[in-house]
Amino acid sequence: MAAPSRAELVRIIFDILRTQLLSVGSEFTEQSSLVDAGLDSLAVTQLLLAIEEATGVWVDESLLTPENLASAESLAACVYELQRRAS
Amino acid sequence: MSSWQTAAPIPLTGADCFLRAFDAEARRRNGASHLSQLVLRLGPGFELEGFCDLVAQVSRANPLLRAPIRRPFGLLPPVYDTPRARLEAAPPVRVYELPSSRSGGVPEVFFERLNGTQDLRRGDLLRFDIVRYGGGTEGTDLAMTWAHLLFDGSGSERFIEWLAACHRGERVPNDLAPAEGAGIAAASAEGDAGTGLHTRGPRERGRKARAYQVRMAGFAARPPRSLAGPLRRTPQALRYAVETYEKEQTERTVERANQQAGFLTPVLFYLAAVIRAHHAVFRERNLSAASYVVPVVANLRPKGAPSAIFRSHVSMLWFQVFPEQVEDFAMLLGVLKEQRLARIREGFIENGAAAMNFARWAPSRLYARMAERVLKGELASFFFAYTGDFLPGLSRFLGAEILNGFHAAGVMASPGSAALLCLRAGRLNVGHVRQQGVFSPAELSIFRAQLRRDLLGVDGSR
Repeated sequence: MAAPSRAELVRIIFDILRTQLLSVGSEFTEQSSLVDAGLDSLAVTQLLLAIEEATGVWVDESLLTPENLASAESLAACVYELQRRAS
Repeated sequence: MSSWQTAAPIPLTGADCFLRAFDAEARRRNGASHLSQLVLRLGPGFELEGFCDLVAQVSRANPLLRAPIRRPFGLLPPVYDTPRARLEAAPPVRVYELPSSRSGGVPEVFFERLNGTQDLRRGDLLRFDIVRYGGGTEGTDLAMTWAHLLFDGSGSERFIEWLAACHRGERVPNDLAPAEGAGIAAASAEGDAGTGLHTRGPRERGRKARAYQVRMAGFAARPPRSLAGPLRRTPQALRYAVETYEKEQTERTVERANQQAGFLTPVLFYLAAVIRAHHAVFRERNLSAASYVVPVVANLRPKGAPSAIFRSHVSMLWFQVFPEQVEDFAMLLGVLKEQRLARIREGFIENGAAAMNFARWAPSRLYARMAERVLKGELASFFFAYTGDFLPGLSRFLGAEILNGFHAAGVMASPGSAALLCLRAGRLNVGHVRQQGVFSPAELSIFRAQLRRDLLGVDGSR
């Protein structure tokens, strides 16, 4: 199976957040702040596990910086970079 | 009147029932209820009469606040019996006038309240104690003490925010919708409704609860120990002290926590420090614990949605570490990170919620006895909570500036020790609740010194 593109990663992460982890409405976008949307310590770990299940990429907790968790887009960029380095 | 305030009884959540069982056990063993306390240290200008009026209005509009808790027919899952809520059971507001200037310490009456009893079967769920200094001109200390199942820590802060908003005229006492009143779980006490978890049907719930029990039983291979020793019958005599760090010290601690544990999971940094502080006292006594076992509350409130004030929306994440893992801070933090990830991966939090749900049906004594047997006579090595920013959006309460604020909580005579940390206005509050006699004065000094060393950095380096 081909590794997901960066755009596909954004969509995957956004869907996990919207459908599994956060109670958010249509105002929540791929650029929305994850912390402001309610992402907390438990939810972020559940998010990492869901990303691993969907993509096979594990994001080490040391990479959970405010910059990488700024939005679904920025987290996808981090995952994409990890995926690129591993390939 | 909003829909959740109607006459039908409101079922307790699984976590509520777990806490109800804990309350029964605390009363049996230590003659005190399982209570929590939120303290506000206020500047001058607190509007006492306005507060008393507000509490009366809120109590009238929200029968859950004075509802007896009982099992229908003595067998069915417990409920807030709101149709039988009596106005006389409204939360009392007691006022104490002190002529002298306030000290840095906590008023004695707050300890007395925390060591008291509140009868859940009579709707005695919530109380306020107000200590005024110089008639209020030199400030006021306010303690809100509640039966622990009425709110979780997050809910208690939301309640205070809501009271403040009512006083400002932005909210009214009967405006709580179901989602922010008793919570989604009130509409359906089955399963994990309102918790954000997805357990389907009694079979899956049973499987998860069993997995939780097996994991807990695994702790018995190296059973935990507390400084107070195994559970025993003795009167509860708790005191607590809160050390407030300076802003620079707090910044340093927060930076270390974020760097070492991650900015969304600093709780593990604080937990590691508290474990090592207890370990230092064990070492001073030349005692060796086979392990330290500590429960940490996991917040199950829906993320990003208006969350409930009343009721408990939590599960438990348990950690077990061994003395040889505690000597080095970085090693301990690594172990805690690994355990947290492994437990979340295996569904331990969901399993815990499922197990708590069984407490709705099980007699409270049975549940307490199971916990005691699994941990070989101990409930835990100590209790711990890090609740993050305390009332971050609130600077004033009923006309007075909030100078500081923090949580305290009842802890049974064994383990006899609980550390509760929070941030208020850029300063770290380190609260330590202890059963009198569990720590000698010298041991308390060792405990606090070790905690400071780990929070601030042993050698002063970042």
